Amino acid sequence: MHPIVSVEDLSKRYGQLEAVRGISFEVTAGEIFGLLGPNGAGKTTTVEILEGLRRADGGSARVAGIDVGRDPEGTKRRIGVQLQSSAFMEHLTARETVELFALCYEVRADAMALLRSVGLEDRASARQEKLSGGQRQRLSIATALVNKPQVLFLDEPTTGLDPQARRNLWDLVRAIRANGTTVFLTTHYMDEAEVLCDRVAIMDQGLILAMAPPSELIAGLLGRGFAKPVIQQQANLEDVFLDLTGHDLRDE
Amino acid sequence: MRQILSLTVVLLRAFSRDFAAIFFTVVLPLMFMLIFGALNLGALGHVNVGMVDQAGNQASSAFVDALRGIDTLSITVGEEAAERARLLKSDRDLVVVIPADFRIAPASPGSAVPTLVVYENQGRAQQAAVGEAILTQLIDRASFAVTRTAPAVAMRREEVSVRKLGYLDFLVPGIIGLNVMQLAIFGVAFGLVSQKQRGVLRRIMATPLRPRNFLAAHVLMRLLLAVLQVAILLGVAVVVFKLQIVGSIFDIFVLVTLGSILFLTFGFAIAGWAKTENQVPPVANLITLPMFFLSGTFFSRDAIPAPFREVTGYLPLTFLNDALRDVSTQGATLLDVRMQVLGLAAWAIAGFILAVRLFRLD
Repeated sequence: MHPIVSVEDLSKRYGQLEAVRGISFEVTAGEIFGLLGPNGAGKTTTVEILEGLRRADGGSARVAGIDVGRDPEGTKRRIGVQLQSSAFMEHLTARETVELFALCYEVRADAMALLRSVGLEDRASARQEKLSGGQRQRLSIATALVNKPQVLFLDEPTTGLDPQARRNLWDLVRAIRANGTTVFLTTHYMDEAEVLCDRVAIMDQGLILAMAPPSELIAGLLGRGFAKPVIQQQANLEDVFLDLTGHDLRDE
Repeated sequence: MRQILSLTVVLLRAFSRDFAAIFFTVVLPLMFMLIFGALNLGALGHVNVGMVDQAGNQASSAFVDALRGIDTLSITVGEEAAERARLLKSDRDLVVVIPADFRIAPASPGSAVPTLVVYENQGRAQQAAVGEAILTQLIDRASFAVTRTAPAVAMRREEVSVRKLGYLDFLVPGIIGLNVMQLAIFGVAFGLVSQKQRGVLRRIMATPLRPRNFLAAHVLMRLLLAVLQVAILLGVAVVVFKLQIVGSIFDIFVLVTLGSILFLTFGFAIAGWAKTENQVPPVANLITLPMFFLSGTFFSRDAIPAPFREVTGYLPLTFLNDALRDVSTQGATLLDVRMQVLGLAAWAIAGFILAVRLFRLD
């Protein structure tokens, strides 16, 4: 398996703050890779460098065979992105929004097929601003797929979503990976990383502390003699919530 | 290029669904024009004349009737004390007292001719002067009629083709200039800063779309809107107010385009500098408000004190208003208004440099 993202000694500072301090890692084609860490760990900076939105101060990053620092535009053509705290142009419908992005990438795209693939077919002619949070995240993913990207970057895709919408988005991410697209996501929800990611890197204060499949990291911790102070519950509150309210996605 | 045009269409489509933006672009300027047009600030209005008829004879009533037949005058007959009181309250511009011995007859040697006493309102000197001129003319005509002498000097009136321009013909070019400024500065500044603040631009910049293509589409969209807006304003002015456009309409649109480009550079400079929408109004108003009043939009710059007036001659909106007005009311060509065109171009270059220095998409 060849690496589709390879990062070597990457660093970025904002004035006094060293946001990213010489990190190196690789992402294998076809996997779902998670970059985890608390707020301010440097996740978003790292992702934005890989997306060609920010320039690194040191080190190198290659995405889909392109040196990001040297050809950010070429990189952008080969990847799909969903940014944290971004928005779409007002007064356009979901379908027009997808078409706008096809225009930005200068590609032909079947907007309806893309909306169908994210389950928004019946909201195609709704104004983008009328969509619910979960629907807007799915629209965001549809716009990120117009150029048939090799790598899809998702920056905290489920923040602010209800449990049903989160699970629906996880299914969508798995379906995208099944179509052969590598998925690179950041999250600070550990349950999300555990069920979704093939491998995770845990980042804090600009450094990567550990990188392995979630099960290996857990096994490693247990191997060092770690035990939770209470007996593992067989169900948690979220299971109760979903049992009572169902798995079906809500249209807010 | 195709990408820019398609993007322009998308931007126009989004605009066409934005009722607030349409209100500010089309409805508000129309309201401006209709309100100021209805006020008709430039008109002399009627001359209010109070007549006090102390003669009460046939000659005096014939004289009053003759005055009544003149459109400009608004005649009221009343008692002297009451009429003079109304003059003091400025309800009258003139009060004319017809003496008891009033008659229209050849003057006999040795006897005095009847004397009209005219009280005039100093506060409305212009109206009073017009009223007196009409009065004198009427007296002369009556005198000639009875003395049956031909006037010693005859006068033949030659209609010189000075166009009768109303206040609206003056106002409309100013309204157009003003709206070109407002639309370009406020439209771009608010539109782009709101997109910047909400993260719309960040998302678009994550695609391979070149920033210059994105900005070109915005400029193109604004230019099209400006032309459309001016076409609507001119159309309404011609239909509703019988606006006379003496010069070439094409030249007007050339000036509108040049003015739009100039003010768009200001708009992009503000949009580039501001990080939140709250920062836009103070700066945009600081730039536009002085020109709103000092660039001869609603009234002539002659009202501005002389040394200061000189300075206001170099404001960008003054160049635009003057050029538009010269073309519209006097039939000037672009060559005739080349100084204003040069002024607009100089400001546009300055604005462009400023915009390039200040512009940030994130």
